[in-house]
Amino acid sequence: MTVFVEGNLQLTVYGAKAAWRFDGDDHKLTHCMKAVDFVIELEDSYQFIEFKDPQYPGAPPKEVDDYIGEFKAGRLDKQFQYKYRDSYLYELAFERAEKPIDYLMLIAIDTLTGALLRHRKREMERKLPLWGPGKQQLPRPFIRGCGVFNIPLWNRRFPNYQIVRLPPQPSVPEI
Amino acid sequence: MTLTRVKLERFTAFEDFDLKLSSGVNVLVGANGTGKTHLMKVCYAACDIAKSGASFPDKLGSVFLPSGRSLGRLVKRRGRSSTAAAEVCRGNRSLRVSFSSHAKSFRSATMKGADGWVDSSLGCVYIPVKEMLSNAPGFRSMYAAREVHFEEVYADILDRAYLPVLRGPADRPRRRLLDALQKAVDGKVIIKNEEFFLRNRQGELEFSLLAEGMRKLALLWLLIQNGTLLSGSVLFWDEPETNLNPKLYGVLIDVLLELQRSGVQVFLATHDYVILEELDLRKTEEDDVAFHSLFRNEGGEIACNTADNYLDIHPNAIAETFDDLYDREIERSLGGVGK
Repeated sequence: MTVFVEGNLQLTVYGAKAAWRFDGDDHKLTHCMKAVDFVIELEDSYQFIEFKDPQYPGAPPKEVDDYIGEFKAGRLDKQFQYKYRDSYLYELAFERAEKPIDYLMLIAIDTLTGALLRHRKREMERKLPLWGPGKQQLPRPFIRGCGVFNIPLWNRRFPNYQIVRLPPQPSVPEI
Repeated sequence: MTLTRVKLERFTAFEDFDLKLSSGVNVLVGANGTGKTHLMKVCYAACDIAKSGASFPDKLGSVFLPSGRSLGRLVKRRGRSSTAAAEVCRGNRSLRVSFSSHAKSFRSATMKGADGWVDSSLGCVYIPVKEMLSNAPGFRSMYAAREVHFEEVYADILDRAYLPVLRGPADRPRRRLLDALQKAVDGKVIIKNEEFFLRNRQGELEFSLLAEGMRKLALLWLLIQNGTLLSGSVLFWDEPETNLNPKLYGVLIDVLLELQRSGVQVFLATHDYVILEELDLRKTEEDDVAFHSLFRNEGGEIACNTADNYLDIHPNAIAETFDDLYDREIERSLGGVGK
């Protein structure tokens, strides 16, 4: 079992061969390459994982609404897209992208509906892209599959990758 | 004064049901068989007789059309004798009818509040799922003379549609609504010998040749133009999305919200996700919109939760269907990952 904490979200990974924080100090190239948050390695595949948490405790409602607007308009797609591509190139350069890779994107806003998430997933499939010209399979696909989730849908779909929201930490008064 | 509350006891599918209504837009959602149409028909019957002064049980019989017009068939089936009641409230006025499952005639029903209920200014319209304008010629005269098995809402909507134009110029909000609908249907509706036509630059197109979705918007245009939908009136619309391209939902929702702003109470029964999203996105903080989610509780009886926002509806059968679709799509894309 591996436990990661990203802001107020805790991800617990069970049954993986390995799991590591990808955008941490070990990356060393984050000044020039974007990076997903975590990587999970299974026997036969990798999962690249990116968290977005605009609904963190204390987030102003307007900030959440603005984020939903950005999400619906597809303006977050590029962020997800470039994070994946740079992370893939990084892994490729280190000769580690030898197994199929799935890209799991979490947007921790409870009110995002299945219909909206489904639409964004399809857009991400087109933009990453999953297929070559004419929707043909690429000789060496650089991504196998992807999905965009909110926390309830994520937890229902991935019993081995459970997410909980941690209670807000009390701020320490300055002395 | 618009409708404020409806209570149903052992009436059709309802066991014990009590719903507070919004004076603006009331959106009814829920799976098939949760009573959305029945609820609207009871409210419509109450509104209709407020203006006509007719008998409430008689109107219920005409809009529900139970077999043999037997009023007792509107009592919830429970395998034994029972009594049903339907009560509709407008502020401190209420209209209540009760009758037993043995009641054959509408005269055997017990009424309460009928005297204070009549109000000649309370207009109402019920737009049923099936479009009727293209079948209009001759229908009204046949309906008046013969026993035809059509719920009265179909004859009523034609009566409203045939009303002549309201005297005097349309005020600015009404003009704006008419212009928006005229743009969407690309023309104006005219009536010749009981037949409806859409008139535009190309000429006159009979309704039977017009797309069914367009006929619905054209009907709305007629009802606004002839003053049926004025402040203080009530609009009931069952599944407005039927046969309408989703690209036109925005126009439809804008018109309904504008009608609500001008004082029309609106009831909408829908199964459509885009209709709900459009309503959620287009309504402003000043708009009065209530989403009523009808569902069967653990005992199998119809219950209702009301929310101000579409996303707060619970249960939400439409969203659950999309979640289920998405689950299956993810299963196809990602297989056993994370399990």
